[in-house]
Amino acid sequence: MAGTNDLDPAISAAGEPISETEALNRLRQNDDQSHQYYAAWWLGRMRSRHPEAVPLLQAALRRRQPREATSCVEQNAVARNAARALGKLGDPQAIPDLLSTMDDDDDGLREAAARALGELRAEEAVPLLCQRLVSGVTGAGAPQASGNPRLREPCEAMLEALGDIGVSDPGVLVVIEPFLAHDRPLIRSAAARALFQLTGDERWGRRLVELLAHPQLQVRRAALMDLGAVGWRLALEPIRSTLAENSLKLIALRGLVENGQGPPDTETVLMAMDDLL
Amino acid sequence: MSKTPPSSTGLLKSLIAGVEGAVSADGLQKSTYALAHTLTRLAKVDSDGSGLGDPEVQDVIECLLQVLGFNNPGAAVAAVDGLIAMGPAAVGPLLANLDAHNYGARAWAVRALAGIGDPRGLEVLEDALATDVGPSVRRAAASGLGALRLENLAEQEREGIRLRCLEALEAGRGDGEWVVRYAVAVGFEGLALPLPPSHPHRERAVAGLRHLQQPEQEETLVVRLRAGVALKRLDNR
Repeated sequence: MAGTNDLDPAISAAGEPISETEALNRLRQNDDQSHQYYAAWWLGRMRSRHPEAVPLLQAALRRRQPREATSCVEQNAVARNAARALGKLGDPQAIPDLLSTMDDDDDGLREAAARALGELRAEEAVPLLCQRLVSGVTGAGAPQASGNPRLREPCEAMLEALGDIGVSDPGVLVVIEPFLAHDRPLIRSAAARALFQLTGDERWGRRLVELLAHPQLQVRRAALMDLGAVGWRLALEPIRSTLAENSLKLIALRGLVENGQGPPDTETVLMAMDDLL
Repeated sequence: MSKTPPSSTGLLKSLIAGVEGAVSADGLQKSTYALAHTLTRLAKVDSDGSGLGDPEVQDVIECLLQVLGFNNPGAAVAAVDGLIAMGPAAVGPLLANLDAHNYGARAWAVRALAGIGDPRGLEVLEDALATDVGPSVRRAAASGLGALRLENLAEQEREGIRLRCLEALEAGRGDGEWVVRYAVAVGFEGLALPLPPSHPHRERAVAGLRHLQQPEQEETLVVRLRAGVALKRLDNR
């Protein structure tokens, strides 16, 4: 669900364009967390290949603190960006630290770690993710408390991670399936996406296409991203005709080209992209 | 003027009134869409774009330009379509109003100019591809730079404009957003297709596409694939 904002975050974020050396220095220092925050984001965004990048991001992740209502939010903001960056850098060295982050009380941090583990295709994470989700719609998928709309577990990120990692064990499928009936369409979309990735069963692709007709734009956007992730090319026409920004349709169609196979053939999908420029 | 079906004057007036009288975001979107759709239909009947009477052209363009500034993306998309259907008649007013509204309106205006393909929009498209903060604006500018309609110009003028387009597209290959580089590939293709095989500008566009096809130079698979399709098409004619 990233990339919905047209503006480059580098422009809206605090910093000027910086060098890799400067980013590493900012992450290394410990006085100014806003500098660390930006540096962690920068290293992920620029796909840094510097040998110190991953160790420094791991250290930033370990420096997270127990979440308290009044303090330490800043610290975890750095940790969240570090987790996101570690997912983008693709180094399996980061997996153990991300796994231990999955026990953190901060559900936002667990969310970032789950996505990163998905990006790293970390099969080691599958038992832990399943264990966190097995309580189903009324457990992991229930709102935290009245007044707090967040779910007890970051289900959307965790379901997507299971799909991205790609272990299509019956035990995994059984954990995911109940979320197809969650009352929130974004969770249903994530479950259908994961099941499609794990089984290739077009039934789940059709579920995603149905969500492209949902009255809420936010749901249609999520379904676009999920169809791109699974690369189901038979969704080409529904993607073209859904009411959403061309920017998101282009990302979805890129996914159809890169993650899917014909029919329709690649050139047909590319021509549909040309029409959206 | 005489070719205008007698009913269109009243029809367009009522459609403009519908846009101006819209009281909700949804209503604005629907009424703008109705106006743009009608314009597209009239433009098909009347491909030289001169079928509407002058005062009507002004009214319609004025109305659509205003919609660009309303911060309603659905309506703006429809208004851009309407302006593209108006063709060259919309270029002067678009250029004249470029700085009159907010950033959002300017971005939509660039997209309209890219879609119309009138060479008068060249400088705006160059500037947008090089400097605009919105990737959606840069991508529209890049594809527009490959689709300028040069057929009515003298050969020397055509060469000069094409050269500027090529230079802008070559610089756009270094854009940080994949979708802009994708549009650059589309731009190179559009620019080269009408040219004979040995034309130096065609060869330069082919070189640009080869660059976008190399994994060492272009990290995004879909961009490399699009450049490959462009090269195949150029090879076949």
